[in-house]
Amino acid sequence: MYAIECRDICKKFGPKTALDNVSVAVNDGRIVGLLGPNGAGKTTLIRVINRITIPDSGEVLFKGAPITRKDIEKIGYMPEERGLYRKMKVGDQAIYLARLKGMDTASARRELKDWFVRFGIRDWWDKKVEELSKGMAQKLQFITTVVHKPSLMILDEPFSGFDPVNAEVIRKEILRLRDEGATIILSTHNMESVEELCDDIALINKSHLVITGGVNDIRREYGNHNVELVYTDEAGRHTEVLPSEVDGTPTLRSFLDRGVTVNSYRELMPRMNDIFIKLVSDNQTQI
Amino acid sequence: MNLRTTGIIISREYLNKVRKKSFLVTTFLVPVLFAAMCLLPTLIMLGAKESAKEIVVVDRSGIVTPFLTDSESVTYTFLPSADPDSVKQALAPLGFDALLTVSELDAEARSVTADVYSLKPLGMDIEGSVNSRINDAVEAYRIETSGIDNLKQIISDIRPHVKLTTYTLDSEGKETVSESGVYMVVSMVLGMVIYLFIALFGGMVMSSVIEEKSSRVIEVLVSSVKATELMFGKILGVVLVALTQFMLWIVLTVSIIALAGAIAGPSMGASPEAVEAMLSTPGLPDGTDAVTQAVAQGGDMGVIFSTLSNLPIGTILACFIVFFVFGYLLYSSLFAAIGSAVENEGDSQQLQIPLTRPLLVGFFIAIYAFKAPDSALVFWGSMIPFTSPIVMLARLPFGVPAWEILLSMALLVLTFVVCAWLSAKIYRVGILTFGKKASWKDLYKWLKLK
Repeated sequence: MYAIECRDICKKFGPKTALDNVSVAVNDGRIVGLLGPNGAGKTTLIRVINRITIPDSGEVLFKGAPITRKDIEKIGYMPEERGLYRKMKVGDQAIYLARLKGMDTASARRELKDWFVRFGIRDWWDKKVEELSKGMAQKLQFITTVVHKPSLMILDEPFSGFDPVNAEVIRKEILRLRDEGATIILSTHNMESVEELCDDIALINKSHLVITGGVNDIRREYGNHNVELVYTDEAGRHTEVLPSEVDGTPTLRSFLDRGVTVNSYRELMPRMNDIFIKLVSDNQTQI
Repeated sequence: MNLRTTGIIISREYLNKVRKKSFLVTTFLVPVLFAAMCLLPTLIMLGAKESAKEIVVVDRSGIVTPFLTDSESVTYTFLPSADPDSVKQALAPLGFDALLTVSELDAEARSVTADVYSLKPLGMDIEGSVNSRINDAVEAYRIETSGIDNLKQIISDIRPHVKLTTYTLDSEGKETVSESGVYMVVSMVLGMVIYLFIALFGGMVMSSVIEEKSSRVIEVLVSSVKATELMFGKILGVVLVALTQFMLWIVLTVSIIALAGAIAGPSMGASPEAVEAMLSTPGLPDGTDAVTQAVAQGGDMGVIFSTLSNLPIGTILACFIVFFVFGYLLYSSLFAAIGSAVENEGDSQQLQIPLTRPLLVGFFIAIYAFKAPDSALVFWGSMIPFTSPIVMLARLPFGVPAWEILLSMALLVLTFVVCAWLSAKIYRVGILTFGKKASWKDLYKWLKLK
């Protein structure tokens, strides 16, 4: 069963087409990277899933059934443009947002206190948001996104604004939430974090879905199948790249016959960054 | 509309506003000011009694002196043969406030000239009374020297002493004593209060919308609740703030006046009790009783309170609530739509004009309503929904047929429903549109978006 499935979503804003027949299915319990250049239609797709924007045609299925108002409470959304009430106290604000997601005040308070302790920000509870630094506000925003234990989380550029230490904290939390069964849609331009975190990706360009699938499958598919061989002989450690046309097996055997130690032999995977650029520019010339 | 989430939004909006310092300050300051305004005339009278002015009089004619009698506010000292100039120099050392000189009697004009020299201005009341006494003196002199027998008697017979007392007849023909000045004041206050309330709290809704948009919290919110729930939750939260403030104002003003009355005791006269009576009894049962009571309470104040107590307070209060609530709902939903189109308050100025102008027009028509409550302009002003809350309230004290009130209410409610629907459509798109400064053309485009 898919955690969320978009079928043939079309959305126009006046003369401008934001989404053209986009279908994406997200597997349960996975981290899915939603990729695409600026203005591709990612935010619109996210808003369609969140029921902020109603599509012109097509449907969104949540766990196999058309998405309803009640399902929204099982989604947590962190928009790219972060926002909190500046004049409101941290604790009050977090409780308010949790209540809008269907929690009652008592359990919201309990859960929030746990998160605040885990993030080491217990003494912020009575501060006003405007007193927080940008990074602190980001942490609070992350907590308010996940406190109601959503089964689907949509995180738009979750690492922006964090220093490396805090980015690592968030990264671990995302992985932990996934391991606990949540599905996560990660929209980002940071391809390294896609390689690191994502199980699957969906790439959108110019209102169209360009590609979707497992990260490793795609990397393999778009690779040139070159093989990297690392070996050690009397002269030291060497790295050799074997082009894909060369049959690897006899080559490897000849190395082994020479009596050197083979340290590693692996297919070289292209970086997501290169695939992204290739796909987007191919797509550019196509249209 | 989801009631649970709308309720949560309403309560946040309400608590957030009510806890603000500015709310507390206005809630407690306005009744103090209002009570002060009500008590001011009495206080001034009390204060004025304390220092009687001492005036030294140099009367060369001799006819004015008998007419200048001491009163609570002024005492006279007569120095008929003194030299005005030397008195003038020594006014302060002698302990006088002013010098009044009256010239020799001019035989030809049969009149005198008089001048007052004072260290500080004497004030209108004293000057007026001195002036009229001198006129009385000259008049008496002329009557005496006219050579006509019994002229004094004749003139006093001729001179009329008519006082106009106004009564209003109700549908059953009962008469109540009334004072149109009182109606004007009540009408003016009602029109002004409702104008201020709508402008103030409508503006509050707009700022609140802008705050959510500019802080970008809006996108988080609409991922949890529908935009329309957010908009109406906000509007309803603010109207509860307004009603809370209104109720507190009434309660606090009445208690301050009552308290002040209790402290100052009998010297305050009948006014606090009369105000209480006015607020507690929605009109006395019998008109003639009101007159006797009014007269018993003494003079003009009595007539004013009698007039007030004969106003249909219950109807006016009910109409105030209905017209305020729906007038506010109409305007605030439009203000919300405007707020959704901009990212900071400054940008809203241009877009607000089509809203603030009708309000202002309503206010001006309301002013006209004090003068001509039954004119065509005022009638239509009280029917057209964008001005009707203000103008109808200003008309109410003068008496408005029930069908007109009901028709005006119905039109207002209907317009609100239509405008709220349109506003919600604009709001939905506006709150998520960033970047370009929106114009009326954009708003129209958003309206047509599905």
